[in-house]
Amino acid sequence: VSGLIQLDHGTGGGMSQELIADLIAPGLGSAHHGRMEDSAVLSLESDRIAVTTDSFVIDPIFFGNGDIGKLAVCGTINDLAVSGAIPRFLTLALVLEEGFPIADLERIIDSVREAASGAEVAIVAGDTKVVRGGEIDKIFINTTGVGELHHRGELGMRHVSPGDAVIVTSWLGNHSIHILSLREGLGFEERILSDCAALDGLVWNVLEEHPNDVRCMRDVTRGGLGTVLNEVADGAGVSVSIDRGRLPIQHETAMAADMLGVNPLYLANEGCLCLFVDGEFAQEVVETVRLHPHGRAAQIVGTVRERGVNAVALREEDGEESAVEILYGAELPRLC
Amino acid sequence: VARCAVLTNDLQYDLVNKNEERRTAVETFTPKMTSFLAEMRMLGVPIVHLQLINKEDDPRAERYGDWLPVTKGSDGARIIAQFLDDKDIVVEKNKDSGFYETDLDERLRELGVDTVIITGMQTQICVQTTAADGFFRGYNVIVPSDGVVSARPEDQARALEWLRSYCATITTTDELVQAVAAGEVPQFEVVAIP
Repeated sequence: VSGLIQLDHGTGGGMSQELIADLIAPGLGSAHHGRMEDSAVLSLESDRIAVTTDSFVIDPIFFGNGDIGKLAVCGTINDLAVSGAIPRFLTLALVLEEGFPIADLERIIDSVREAASGAEVAIVAGDTKVVRGGEIDKIFINTTGVGELHHRGELGMRHVSPGDAVIVTSWLGNHSIHILSLREGLGFEERILSDCAALDGLVWNVLEEHPNDVRCMRDVTRGGLGTVLNEVADGAGVSVSIDRGRLPIQHETAMAADMLGVNPLYLANEGCLCLFVDGEFAQEVVETVRLHPHGRAAQIVGTVRERGVNAVALREEDGEESAVEILYGAELPRLC
Repeated sequence: VARCAVLTNDLQYDLVNKNEERRTAVETFTPKMTSFLAEMRMLGVPIVHLQLINKEDDPRAERYGDWLPVTKGSDGARIIAQFLDDKDIVVEKNKDSGFYETDLDERLRELGVDTVIITGMQTQICVQTTAADGFFRGYNVIVPSDGVVSARPEDQARALEWLRSYCATITTTDELVQAVAAGEVPQFEVVAIP
């Protein structure tokens, strides 16, 4: 299979079969466990599962240290991981634009395999559709993930209470700045790379080491930390206070954000979690996070308080506080 | 002794003639800019014009209504004659930063350049991004405030403040001519901590 994607690659006929048999299935290699039937029949050890689905429309589809394939696997794995689940299975649905280079599809499938294999997640079902040129932009991917819940502790916003601490596991804003810089050639794209990564290992380490200390975990993707904190504050009926000086923001990211007039607090990330943990053990938890390669920049950034005037407050070094409002419609499009 | 090069950005017919604000702003800065370039040439400083060329298949290239300005080979893409000399270097770019997917870095290294004097239009876009990119690549960056131009003065003021804070020495063309002639080019040192 070579050349460009044609409409017939998505009709379910011979060309579709060829694309799957000659490119997609071999490209996925050992990460692919499907039988090519109408549905996958799976066995699980746990009696509790987590299920999530996400669609990926990032532009550009290839970036400095990843692509839409890696993103589609890692994004769904992270959504499962923050529920306390061990990611087990993924489905992979591709929507391709007629004329899309098959060589690019091969690269993306390679990335899917690499990311899924790295997280020991099996691709168990899939779908491929092709639409006419102009009806989508190059390639969109949907992944649905299933994970097994072995963690017996309760996780979720309702468990967050005053006295808890807030931990951010990685640099804020790097993924968004990398993608925005690539789009326009702003000069930051080589200094600031995407944080796109599967964080199931990091989550597993934290839950293993601190099973009773973690209240809630959130993947800091669209809407950024500002949105996550507001959602948790409202969901738990508390206020959250964060310290500006503790926020892990790379110098170059702050430069770019200042130039672009965007706030790193609201920028999407693809390898960054926000953990709400028992305040008494926050230091131990953050040290565990920092032992993981994707958690080295982790910081305790704030605390949970009784509900006050501001759902989320940003505290400056001089002690002055301002509200971190929830965003309404000002998000940047197609970053994931 | 610092080895300088002057980089100009987007001083091209289509781009300057986009609207009255740009035309007026460039007309105002042209006498100073042309004399600055002449003096720099006399001091042996290479002049590199960064020429924006829009690709037909780039969905993000800015269109003026239904047409695409500064396409390759078009009259409107040429560097404005007043700023151009036979010995100048022209480097084609397709995005805001002059370093983005171009051979600018290699060409400057071949010339032994360690200091870039960034000029041209517009301060808050191409000048700013080229300055940041150059700074990240290890160049000493200088921006003469009267050698850059924006359609809106407030954009220029904000961009110069950003440049001063993060990555560039802000000076004037007159001061720069004197500094280069004296072999005392300012080095950017202070980086604001955000």
